[in-house]
Amino acid sequence: MSTSVTAVTVGDPAATSAPGKQASGARQALHRLRQQPSTVFALVIIAIVLVCAVFAPLIAPYAPDATDVTASMSGPTSEHLLGADTLGRDLLSQLIYGARTALIVAVGSVVVAMLIGIPMGLILGYKGGWYDRLGSRVMDMADALPGLMVGFVVIAILGRGMTTLIIAIGLVFCMNFARIARAITLGERQKLYVDSATVVGLSTSQIIFRQILPNLAGPMAVQGAVFLGSAIKLEAALSFLGLGLSDDQPSWGGMLRFAAENQADHGWLVIAPGLAIVFTVLAFNLLGDGLNDALTGRRPTTLKRSLLGKKVVMADAAVGSRTEVASRTEASERPADAAASGTAQPAPASALLDLRDLTVVADSPDGGVTTLVHGANLHVAKGEILGILGESGSGKSMIAKSALGMLPAGVRLAGGQVVLDGVDLAAGSQKDHHAVLGGKLGVVFQNPQANLSPVHTVGRQMTEVLHAHHQMSRAAAKARAAELLDLVGVDDATRRLTQYPWQFSGGMAQRVAIGLALAGEPEVLIADEATSALDVTTQAQVLDLLMDLREQMGMSIIAITHDLGVAAEICDRVAVVYQGEVVETAPVTDIFDHPSHEYTARLLASHPAAGDRSDHSLEV
Amino acid sequence: MGKLVAYRLLFTLPQLLIVSLLVFSLTFLVPGSPAAAILGPSATPEAIAQIEAQLGLDQPFFTQLGEWFAGVLHGDLGTSIRLGLPVTDLLSERVGATLSLVLGGMVVSLILGVSAGVYTGTRPGTLADRIVTGGTVVGLAIPEFWMGLILVSVFAIQLGWVPIVAWTPITDDPLLWLRGLILPSLALGITGGAMIARQTRAAMVKAMASPYVDTLTAAGVKRRTIVLRYGIKNALVPVLASAGVTFAILIGVSFVIESVFSVPGVGGLMLTSVIGQDFPVVQGVVLVTAIIVVAVNLLLDVCYGLINPQARPQ
Repeated sequence: MSTSVTAVTVGDPAATSAPGKQASGARQALHRLRQQPSTVFALVIIAIVLVCAVFAPLIAPYAPDATDVTASMSGPTSEHLLGADTLGRDLLSQLIYGARTALIVAVGSVVVAMLIGIPMGLILGYKGGWYDRLGSRVMDMADALPGLMVGFVVIAILGRGMTTLIIAIGLVFCMNFARIARAITLGERQKLYVDSATVVGLSTSQIIFRQILPNLAGPMAVQGAVFLGSAIKLEAALSFLGLGLSDDQPSWGGMLRFAAENQADHGWLVIAPGLAIVFTVLAFNLLGDGLNDALTGRRPTTLKRSLLGKKVVMADAAVGSRTEVASRTEASERPADAAASGTAQPAPASALLDLRDLTVVADSPDGGVTTLVHGANLHVAKGEILGILGESGSGKSMIAKSALGMLPAGVRLAGGQVVLDGVDLAAGSQKDHHAVLGGKLGVVFQNPQANLSPVHTVGRQMTEVLHAHHQMSRAAAKARAAELLDLVGVDDATRRLTQYPWQFSGGMAQRVAIGLALAGEPEVLIADEATSALDVTTQAQVLDLLMDLREQMGMSIIAITHDLGVAAEICDRVAVVYQGEVVETAPVTDIFDHPSHEYTARLLASHPAAGDRSDHSLEV
Repeated sequence: MGKLVAYRLLFTLPQLLIVSLLVFSLTFLVPGSPAAAILGPSATPEAIAQIEAQLGLDQPFFTQLGEWFAGVLHGDLGTSIRLGLPVTDLLSERVGATLSLVLGGMVVSLILGVSAGVYTGTRPGTLADRIVTGGTVVGLAIPEFWMGLILVSVFAIQLGWVPIVAWTPITDDPLLWLRGLILPSLALGITGGAMIARQTRAAMVKAMASPYVDTLTAAGVKRRTIVLRYGIKNALVPVLASAGVTFAILIGVSFVIESVFSVPGVGGLMLTSVIGQDFPVVQGVVLVTAIIVVAVNLLLDVCYGLINPQARPQ
């Protein structure tokens, strides 16, 4: 059923741990919760509402139905802080007792929704097959009915009252619980521990209740909090319409109904009960958001996560064993003779793109700085193909991204120059830096299909780039786009322009990406792992294409790769990057025949066939 | 595109069939006899028998079912017990007002939601993002009818910019119709806008972090163009996918909002029928609402196919 709730995305089921890890996970989540100011704020408000609800008779200055005719419609006075209604009933007392109604209905309806929804979701998710198909259709169909409508129907059938209200609101929300329970159960039952439980001989119900149910606890707590808020909103709306509790029972919605009737003369009446609803619902929503973030470990900024993600696998070339090494921060880990050949060579005057002393750092949220690239010096001459060779995480892509002025958020250029045609782009604004993109500096990234927008045709994207660089008519742009596709070896270009990227194979999509990069006629093309995602045959074809383009257009190419074969195949010179440093730059034959740096030597030694220039499949 | 519509229609028909079956069975869920529930405890057996005959409850189950479906297919939803008028007539008088409200609410929701979502989604983590996103969190917590009361209080009672009862049918005067729609649409748009803003923001952040944005940037396309043409279109795919749910929610909320603004829509009819347990009207309202939601979903699916070519049947 459609219900107006916060769109809380429950973290991927994979984030929820197997039962054994539950305790420490919960403690961690609690710790995170305490660090969220919004959650603390929410808990304070919920505590206030809870205290009002439980101790209403002690806190409220009057009984909710005590009349004081002299105070009728008095407005705020010292006796009646929020004023009194027509019968002289104290509105502050009604507000306090209203908290009781709100919480009872909210908690009751969420319990009803969980009691119906969770078992339903568990069964659908666990049994699968026809149960699931049928159940999912029913859940989809329930979306066609507005939540309030369901409430109306239940009240029409059962008549007004507290129980009706709880059942009505519970029914509105049960499908949401069922849906989430189903999704998580589906995810959990694929996991190994369920298999092993089956092997050990646990019964279905034991698996569902002991193994899977604990994993639902977190997401259900999140949903529970959010739906408590929604239930309060719904209860208020129904009471406002006069379909909730009877009129002599205090409720916030009922108070608003009274306020609406007297709105013309007593506008102030709407304020207090409305704010009570807003703050209570807001508190439950914030609690739900906070719980969700705490359980999935989100919130402490996306930056920290991206840095954690940088923990990269580096292969030790000499030993051949793989060890996990975090991006290095300590100088002691530097290769001993780093400065030997990589950093000292001055760029010749013929250099088209000259990267001088580039230092790239990542700021971590705790104030620390991790250096990703240490003073790299690289240059490429007109018509030259320079290879940047390194392992994943060596910093080679960061070098490319700083040349483009497209470093990811949280990563910045701490020093150095990006000199293109004699102009230092790093010294100017990012906008100025981006102005050379496409026209002077082009790039082709790794994943060909993801590199193009899936909802625009290839032709649309190519003409977009053409229009960004040239004044031309639509027809001319289309014709030029077809020429470009033809140039990069895509057959039947005119027809294929009308197709979408996902209608292309990987190799063809990469050709399109190259065509797109060529549209602005750049002088330097950076190919960032441009062939890594392709199979060997396609890879060879794309490499041939790159070399052809250099021949035909005199373009300079920087090929960033972790593949010794690729470097051997197309490069004139190769720069070897290791742990953020350019350890060696030399003509490709020198690198392969006489590696001067110890790391390069180890790299080559780990792949005896690396000298054979025809083999593309070698990987570092 | 015709294929997509046909394909979707095929799925819609069983959905409508099941919904109408559910609606038909409503009267069987009433504890005891619906006739007794309608008439109250002091009803005489003769009066109950008379109402039962009027509702056709004295007929065998399958006869009732057959007559119900025959009626529905002919646009005959029975007769109101309280008002003695055909349910179809009662509904057709009011459905225009309800649709006007929901349409207005949807427009406000989309304008507020998409612009807030695009604004925040293109600058995540900034102060501006935090403020606007914080606003959407508060927006979700505000009951729409309370927002309506505040709007009436400020703009109708205090400032006097619009009459307190401002509703005018579009057939009387389109301009006055529009004026009467402004405040209720704003009240409705608070929740819808906040929901759409949250969805759009998430989708926009994801879209702008996609590799194709890097490709276009690196190819020299201006950021503004990327955001407006590529970011938004990609971000709208998931937003449009859930717009049907947003629409269904707005219909429900409009039933409450119309009582705040004295709009003569379906909600008022439903309210009196629920209190009076006028089952033929309740059934009619539920059925018609479901049909509208299903029809709008069909329309949205076609739009979805237009914006997302991968959703078209190949």
